[in-house]
Order: sequence, then structure tokens, then C-alpha cells
Amino acid sequence: MTILADENTRVIVQGITGRIGAVQTKLMREYGTRIVAGVTPGKEGHSVEGIPVYDTVEDAMQKHSADASIVFVPAPSAKDATFEAIEAGIRLIVIVTERIPIHDALKIRSFAQKATATVIGPNTPGIISPGRVKIGIMPGNLFKAGNVGVVTRSATLGYEIAGNLTEAGIGQSTCVGIGGDRATGVTFVDILKLFQEDKETRAVVLVGEVGRTVEEEVAEYVKTGRFTKPIAAFIAGRSAPQEKRMGHAGAIIESGRGTAESKIKALREAGIAVANRPSQIAEVIKPILQ
Amino acid sequence: MKLFEFESKRIFKAEKIPVPRGDVVSSSEEAKRRAASLGMPVILKAQVPAGRRAKGGGIRVAEHLEEVAEVAQDMLASRIAGFHVHRVLVEHYLPILRELYLGITIDDSKGKFVVLASSEGGTEIEQIAANAPQKIVSLKVDPLLEFEQYEARRVARQIGLTGDLMLKVSSVLWLLYQVFVKYDAAIAEINPLIITESRDVYAAGAVLSIDDDALDRHRDVIANTGETGERTQDDIEREAAEQGIAYVRLGGDIAVIGSGAGLAMATVDLIRDYGGAPANFLDTGGRITRDHVWNCLNIVMKNLKVAAILANMYGGINPMIEAAHGIVEFVREKRLQIPVVAKIRGNFEKEAWDILERAGIRVVKTTQTEDAARLVVELSKKGPR
Repeated sequence: MTILADENTRVIVQGITGRIGAVQTKLMREYGTRIVAGVTPGKEGHSVEGIPVYDTVEDAMQKHSADASIVFVPAPSAKDATFEAIEAGIRLIVIVTERIPIHDALKIRSFAQKATATVIGPNTPGIISPGRVKIGIMPGNLFKAGNVGVVTRSATLGYEIAGNLTEAGIGQSTCVGIGGDRATGVTFVDILKLFQEDKETRAVVLVGEVGRTVEEEVAEYVKTGRFTKPIAAFIAGRSAPQEKRMGHAGAIIESGRGTAESKIKALREAGIAVANRPSQIAEVIKPILQ
Repeated sequence: MKLFEFESKRIFKAEKIPVPRGDVVSSSEEAKRRAASLGMPVILKAQVPAGRRAKGGGIRVAEHLEEVAEVAQDMLASRIAGFHVHRVLVEHYLPILRELYLGITIDDSKGKFVVLASSEGGTEIEQIAANAPQKIVSLKVDPLLEFEQYEARRVARQIGLTGDLMLKVSSVLWLLYQVFVKYDAAIAEINPLIITESRDVYAAGAVLSIDDDALDRHRDVIANTGETGERTQDDIEREAAEQGIAYVRLGGDIAVIGSGAGLAMATVDLIRDYGGAPANFLDTGGRITRDHVWNCLNIVMKNLKVAAILANMYGGINPMIEAAHGIVEFVREKRLQIPVVAKIRGNFEKEAWDILERAGIRVVKTTQTEDAARLVVELSKKGPR
């Protein structure tokens, strides 16, 4: 079992005719992902890698009934593309696009919640269940199938830690990037809930960093006893200078949370193993799996 | 991008939020002229993109014209919170009856906008939030919905206002929310909102910060303000910002280039752990092209203290050959003598390693940043290659 998607998931690529969309479509296909259609307004009738392109998500859905969409649409139009996918009934949307205005990202999150759609990202490398499906842009060679779930904020630090696990002979069930921005569709806790239900996932690696409070939320969630699998975490930014302050409002909302210290402390208090260095993650996980 | 106070106030005024009469000046002569037309006393406020100016002498009241000239002169010759003061805002001084706080920002964890208000404004607002949180009223707003006027009235009531003041303050709060939305703000804040003896309200302190990722929608604002120019105190940080590169100077001698903020931060942490001193944090972002990597190297090498470079990159979107060419071209063109370590993984990694090794660059081929950090710290201590 995997979370979110598997080799039968039917995927639409939004922005398929762009440079990145086209290249990544080819790579995902080579990995085994079932790409059934592409969408680029104004390009209906074209094809990319033999995949038919439609003007609207609705038309693509009618002809191919997709389960998921991956969005490569440029930032100014990414909210529009995502809303279109949600309205067309797609229930899993991966937004790779970076630098989406935060007000747009918040609207996406709110709309997705109302429609009970799962939005991964924005600014995410996507989802990979090694050997089965990749809805994302990660280099597939760093991953290997197994029993550890990985959830990360940073794309490339996630690659590093998954790569460390692979090099240590530890495979992964599913790896999910929730996105590197302040506002994302899902948070760490949302993904943990899925890993809890997934029989193949025996332990979870959590890759956090300074800013936001998604790690502190994990600590609170784990303390409720509803997550029962072992977690190993790494937090980047221990030596980051305090974020430059803009006004008082941010400080009032955060009230002391958001630093690496606060996250590490909260996670440890919840009984989660926090590694000092990324490569220690594999050392922590190995005995758990044996 | 945090706007200067005078820029924020121009926008507030255009959106019908009452602000004190005043104008921004850049010389003591001009300050005197403006003060004469405003009438004494006046308040002078140094325009720097930082908070807590009052403590650095950045906010002062002048009773007569000679004093205006002196204070303006002082301010324009000073640095406040590390920033050179290029402009001073001269405003009509208003007799204060009370000070309130109004702010709108984003609550990441809830995914909502949040309206904040307090019956006590001023610089101590964060202490109030910490010690007496009940004095701060907050209301979350779904970003897909409106902030209605009745909600603004309710907030004003909740901070203890009634009658005409409740109406005036709620109207300002509602307008502030409109500004927040219209300008894609990260923060819109009035602190303090003053109530004068004649029961008028004015935004005496104004903060407006626009989401950097939304600046393209607000080119008109930037056209009037001169972009990043005076907003960064560090020359290299400023130049990096102008090229859209996220760079933070850190004071050491090992330059860090990472593809992604999390990876770059972890690299900085590890260099420290192994006894090195990072010169900077730099995130290339997702577009790893030859030119972009060249520009990133060029930025980190503007810091003359740099004695070694560690480039730590994973390629998802772009083939890593591009990154390798960017590094090699820079090293050759600039005849770089200091050690360069490249840890590169991802699409076309083997080809990238070849290109780098043929140019004499040390390559780390594992997925362990520890290996690269240890190596660069060791090489930085040995000196030029």
C-alpha cells in the first residue's frame, strides 16, 4: 500500500506544453506514472509525448476520468489552474510551481478544504512511492521501495535524507513534500494521519526547518496518542539568524514558536527522536525496522 | 517588501484612512519649510525600514523651527537600526488622548487572515501580547470570504469602544483590511492609532509589507518607491535581492550555495558543527541554469573574506550539467584560487561530475552533506589550492 497515489492513479498534467511540464511528463511516464492527459488553454488538439492536450480540465476529465493533477502552470495563473482542477472534481492536486503569492496559496487551501480535495504544495517536489508512482519532479534514482514514510518541507533536503536512507539500504513507502512556502495545502499532521493508516509504513521521517509552526503541531498531535508509529526528525536552520522583523503582528501570532529550538524542544518532549545531523536519521531508523 | 512609513501612509491616505498631515523631506532646509507650513509643534520620524526607531532617536518632537532644522540635520547624518537615514517624515503633532493598535496579518497554521486589535497601542504591544493576551482581540477571516463591516464593529466593541469612537475605529479597521487584500500584504498595521482630544482618529504609525511573490501585481507601487534600493543595509544582500537571489551574509569565510532553503540552512548548520564559519546563506531556488549558478558564485565572491566555497545542489527540474558548467566557467573566468567543493546529485549527475573534475574541482558524490561540509572546512584551513 502507498498513501495518496499508486501505479493505477490516472494523472493529468496542467501546463504540459511548457518546457518544464513537457520534460517532467516524460520523466514521470518513464517512472511508470499513468499520465492520461494534459491541459494547456489554447493548445487543444496538440500532443506531448503522445499524450493528448485539452483546453480545459473539465474536457480532459470527461474523456479520461483522472484522479490526480500535477500543476506546472506559472505562478500568476497557478491559483486559476488549481481552482479549475478542484471544480472539475479532481481530488488530488500537486502544485510544483514556486513563488505563488501567499494570498493565492491561502485561497487555494481554503477552497480545497471546502471541496475536500487534497492539495500538495505549492512549491513542492511532489509525491513518490518508489518503484510504483511519481507525481512530481524528484530524481527517481535517489529513492528505493521500502517501509519508511518521508514527509518534508524542503524539496532538496528531502532528497538528501531519502538518499541517505537509500544508501543505507532503507527503502521508502511514500515520500511527500508538503511544500516550502508559508502557506501550503496540507501540513505535516495531515500526512501523518495517512501514514498512520498505511500498513506498509512502519516508521516516519520528518524533515522540518525554521519558520511556520507545522513541526510544533506534530508534537501536539503525537502527544494525543493518535499517531503510534516511530518518528525520526531533522530540523534545518539551527544557526539561522532570527528572521528580520517586519511589524508586531507576526510576533503576536507566532508567540515564540517557529525557531529551530522551539521545534526541537517540542518534538523531543513528544518523544520524537530528533537527529542533529541529516545522516543520523538512517542510524535512528535502522534499529526500529529490525 | 516592507514599505517605508511614508510610502505606507501615502497608500493609507489614498484608501481613505486618516493620517496626520505631513510630508517627507531629505534636507534640514526642506524640513524647516514643511514645518512652517504645518504649524508647530511637529514630529520628525526617520525613514528606515526597521521597527523600534524611537529607541535609536528616530522619532522626535520639535517645538520651534530651529529645533526642526537641528533634529532633521541630526537624523539625516545618522544610522538607525543599521540603516542610513535618507529621508525624514515631518508631521503635524497631534495631541493624544489614547493610543490603540490595529493589525492584519496571516496565520499560517490556520491558513487564514487574522485581524488584531488592542485597546493599548504603542511600542509595548508585543509585551502586552505576551503578558496580557486578553487585551488583544483577534478574528480569523477566511481568505475566500469578506471581512464585513459588522465584524469590524464587533472587534471595536470588544476592545471597549462605544458610540462615535466605535464607529470611527471600526471604519479604519475595515479600510485597513481592504488595503491588506488590495496590496497582497503580509502585514498591514496601524500602531499607534491615535485618538485626539477632539475625538478624531489618525494612523500615526503605519506598516505595510507586500508579499515579495506578489510584487509583479504592484509594479505601480514599486515605480514610486525605487524597489529594494534603501531597504537592505548590506551591499551584497541588496545586489542579490535585485537579481532575485536569496542571500544572507553571516560573517564567516566559507561561502555556501544551496539549491533550496532547507538544504542551504542544513549546510550552514553542518559547516558550523565541523568548526567552520559560514560566510553566507544562499538559495539558488529551482532554476539551476548555467547563468544563474554563475551569478550565484559571483554574488558570494563579492564578500572578500570568502576563503572556500561549497556548492550543494540537487537537480530536480534542470539537468545538473548546467550547474557544473556554471561553476567551471566562473572559476576559469575569475581565475579562482580558493578551494571549491561541489556536491551534486540528480539528473545527469555523472556528466556533471566529469565536467567538474576535469576542471580540478573537488566533487562529493554521496548524498551526505556532512562529507562536503567536513571537506570544505578542512580545505578552507589549508588556504588557496
